[in-house]
This record gives sequence, structure tokens and C-alpha cells, in this order.
Amino acid sequence: MTTDIGTSMVDASKPAGSVPSPVARAKWKRLRFGIAVLATQVLVLAALLVVWERATPKGSPAAFMFGSPSAIAGFLIQMAQDGSLWRDAAVTGMETLLGFFMGNLVGTLLGLSLWYSRFVSRVVEPFVIALGSIPIIALAPIVIIWFGTGLVSKVAMSTLSVVIVALVTSYKGAVGADGDQIYLMKTLGASKFQIFRKLVIPASLTDIFAGLKLTVGFALIGAIVGEFMSSSEGLGHAIFKAGSLYIIPKVFAALVVTIALALVLTWLVGKIERLLMPWRRQV
Amino acid sequence: MSVEAATHARPGEGEAVNGTALPLVVEHVAKGYDLNGQVVPVIADLSLTLRKGEIVSLVGPSGCGKTTLLNTLCGLLAPDAGRIRWHGRQVVGQPQNVGYMLQKDLLFPWRTALANTMLGLEIRGVPAAEAEDRSRAMLDQLGLHGFADHYPATLSGGMRQRVALARTLVNDPDVLLLDEPFAALDFQTKLLIESDMVSLVRKGGRSMLLITHDIEEAVSIADRVIVLTRRPTAVKAAYEIELGSDRADVISLRENPDFSRYVRRIWADLDVAIQ
Ligand SMILES: Nc1ncnc2c1ncn2[C@@H]1O[C@H](COP(=O)(O)OP(=O)(O)OP(=O)(O)O)[C@@H](O)[C@H]1O
Ligand SMILES: [Mg+2]
Repeated sequence: MTTDIGTSMVDASKPAGSVPSPVARAKWKRLRFGIAVLATQVLVLAALLVVWERATPKGSPAAFMFGSPSAIAGFLIQMAQDGSLWRDAAVTGMETLLGFFMGNLVGTLLGLSLWYSRFVSRVVEPFVIALGSIPIIALAPIVIIWFGTGLVSKVAMSTLSVVIVALVTSYKGAVGADGDQIYLMKTLGASKFQIFRKLVIPASLTDIFAGLKLTVGFALIGAIVGEFMSSSEGLGHAIFKAGSLYIIPKVFAALVVTIALALVLTWLVGKIERLLMPWRRQV
Repeated sequence: MSVEAATHARPGEGEAVNGTALPLVVEHVAKGYDLNGQVVPVIADLSLTLRKGEIVSLVGPSGCGKTTLLNTLCGLLAPDAGRIRWHGRQVVGQPQNVGYMLQKDLLFPWRTALANTMLGLEIRGVPAAEAEDRSRAMLDQLGLHGFADHYPATLSGGMRQRVALARTLVNDPDVLLLDEPFAALDFQTKLLIESDMVSLVRKGGRSMLLITHDIEEAVSIADRVIVLTRRPTAVKAAYEIELGSDRADVISLRENPDFSRYVRRIWADLDVAIQ
């Protein structure tokens, strides 16, 4: 009665002689697609920069108002050489990372644990909506009064910008666990905690990571807004200072560094995602 | 041999087996859903029994309440009235040693075929090494040798349903409750899995309650076919299926002339029920 349904499939996937195997061909196809996407992105960016550079000749009012790619590059080089670029990036990066980490940790734990009790989640719902609708910028003055003008207030701003989003996305993931799969777990004799650990948490991972990617930007905004209010270092400080001195290319230069920071963090989250969800890699 | 609706159309008689507790006895169970404050009755008054080692098929018109019945039997829904006894006892919550399988395979995408199979053993705290050995052996028995480390996304529909079957059988259940488990598969795949399943169930002396839309499937597999009326549902008729001794060979059974007589008879019953 053992019908070995697998054998034919296994044989088919073996490479036959020098002919490239279907697996290798699929790999090459994916690679080619990736290269095409990247090349197009570079082209679009280059075209934008060329148009921008042409429209803002050196010394023109347009160059003053909008900066120019060459001037921005000049500031970037200068900032890299005098070390302020690395210092500011490190300060803001640290604030962002801490806020990102704490906000997501607290938000995700709360969001997942709300799955446990329909009663508590109902009670909490309007409060979460109310908190989520507060513009975090409006809190900045209070946060500075509470936490001072140092690192802690920026981390607090960053955390606050992240926590509600993390809570909502992880709760959505938790309640999205399939009802029939919960039934299955029950018929297998699972306790509520086992259902939570073996089904609800893994089933929420996709939503949790979507939240993580979204909150990289929010954490960064929180940190930079905090720096706007009061600070002596960081990218927000650099942007604020250059802006008040009307050195617009320098504002853009600091923005470029901010974007780079966001890209690095997003890339890191993606790496961790692939590490934690290996089943998605094979698909 | 005449193919007549047996007197078992009045169920409940089967319980009178002296002393030995039947795996499942259902007495006058009723169940309705609350829709906007109004109770919609789904199960009217339903009684049936499942004997040890017996395979019973439930057929009934679409939407009559078969899935609701199954979920009620497993304690996932509470009946509004009536009694459900597992091995002679009414249980609170989920009965033990009952395997539950749906049309959807319900495999966890983050677990490999092996880890999915191990789920029930893991929950019951069976040591990991033993759980793995048993699960591997079960996968091998179901023709999935070499696929233990595959994630569900890389398996075909038939293979996924085999993993789901392995996940059910590895717990060594006394009773299997199945809700159209193979309805989504193509005919050949379905026949092959079914015949594997039936021989494993018969060999292990297990009992099985199989819900299906497919009357041929019901007749080829079951010792008894119960026909349900439309909603609110109750038992309409029951047929003892007598098709010779080798019931494990569900494929060649279909050539038995009595086979098609049973099928026609049940078809007629079901037609009446639909009107
Ligand atoms: N959770 C629910 N709340 C309200 N009504 C429901 C619910 N689940 C099912 N029903 C209704 O109960 C009836 C029976 O549903 P059920 O799924 O048990 O039927 P079924 O016999 O399994 O159908 P099918 O043959 O299509 O699988 C249907 O009319 C359905 O609309
Ligand atoms: Mg159903």
C-alpha cells in the first residue's frame, strides 16, 4: 500500500548531463530580473540628478532655493572629512535603534497578549485608537520636560512613534490566526498557552515584520523630531541648523544620510525576517 | 442480496450492546446558530452511534449541518440539547484520542512536513526523539519518504493531505472524525490516499466517521452509510453496506454489482432530501 509518490519528482529535478538544470535556469532568471530592477532604479535616479543639476546652475537663485546635486555631494564629502557626518549618523542611529527596539518590543508584546482576552482587548480598543491618533510631534515639548534634552528624550520620542503601530499590527496578526487551525490545536489537546505559542505567534510573524519595516521610518522620524526640539548633535540637529542658516544643500546632505540610515535599518530587518522565517525562502 | 434501507434508520438501537462502551453515542442532539438574535436551527434531533472498528459515512445535502455536527461532536461547539458520550462518558471540552481532519489540510506553513506531523505528540509532551521517530515512520508509511524536511509550500495538494493524515494518525486515535478530507483532490489521488487510509484504519481497529458529498466514496469505504435530511437536519436513513470481506480494497470494490445498487439507492434518498 505504500504508494511512493515522490520518486518521479526527485528524479526529474536532477541535472541531466551538461544541460543546465531547471533549478539553475530558474536561479539565473531570478538573478536577471534582480539586475534589471536595479539597473532601472539607477537609471531613474541618474536621470533625476541630471535634470536637477541642469536646472540649478552654480550661483543661480534656483541653486540657492533647491540646492544642486554637486553642492550636496560637496557637503557630504566635507561632513565626512570633518567627522560630523559619522557622529551625527551614529547619534541619530543609536536613538532610532533604541526607540525602534523598545517601541516594537513593548508594542508587540502588548498586541500579542491582547489575543489572550477578548474582554481586555475590547476594553483597550478605544484607548489604543485615541493614542494612535495623537500626532507624536505634539508630545515633544512634554517629553523634553519629562526626560530632559539628552538621549533619553529622543529615544522616548522614537519609542512613542513606534509603539502603537507595533501594537496594532501584531494584534491584527494574532487575531488573524486561522479559526480551523485553532480548532485543530484544540482537538490535539492543546492548552491556550500552547495555541498561543505554537500557532498564534508564528502565524503573526508576517504581520509583525510588516510592522517592523513600517516602524523603521517612524522611529527615525521620532528621533529627528526630538532633535529638532532641542539638541546639540544628531542628523535632526544638523538639518535644523543648516535650515536656519539657509544652507539648503547641507539640509539635503543631512537628509541623504538620514535616508541611507533608513535603508540600512530596513535591510537589516529584511535579513532578520529571512532568518526567522526560513519557510518563506523556499517558496 | 437486497439493498433495503435497514431498520437502523432508527438509530440509537446500536447502543444496547451489553456493557462494552461504544466509542461514540449521540442522543437527541440539537444545535442552532444565533443569527441577529434569532436562533436558526441547524441540527434538529439527531442520534447515531459508532461501534468499535466501524467506519460510518455521513452524507447529506449541502449546508444541512454536517460540519456543525462534527464540530459539536468534538466539543468545539456546545450542543443546545442532547447527550454526546465518548466511550460511555460525557466529556467536558475535547474528547481524547479523537483525530480530526478537514478538507483544508491546516498544515502550519512554518513547520516542515515532519514538524507538522509531530504537532500532536509535541502538545502531549512526548519526548522529542520518540515523537520524531514515530512521525518519520508514519510519513514513510504514507509514501512520503524523503519529504519529511519539506515545507508545505513545496508539496503538492495530495502530499499535503497525506501529511495532514499522518499528523492525525501518528497520535494513534481510537476514533477519526473526517470532514470531506479529500474533496479537493483529483480522483486518482483521492482513491490512492483513501485506500491507504482505510487500510491503516482497519488494521489499527479504529473507528471512523466520514462526512462526504461523494456517495460512491461513502459506499466504497463505509460499513454503514447514514443519510441526513436537509436543514434542520436529522437522520433520514441508514444502510449497512455488505460488500464481501475484503473491505480494504476500496478500488476493486467499485466493480461489485451491489456497489452501484447501494449508490443508486442512496442517491434516491438524497434526492428526496434535497426537495
Ligand atoms: N458560525 C455560524 N454562524 C451562523 N450560521 C452558521 C455558522 N456556521 C454554519 N452556519 C449555517 O449552518 C448551516 C449548516 O452549516 P454546515 O457548515 O454545518 O453545513 P454542511 O452540511 O457542512 O455544509 P457543506 O455540505 O457545504 O459542507 C448553514 O446553513 C450555515 O449557513
Ligand atoms: Mg461542511
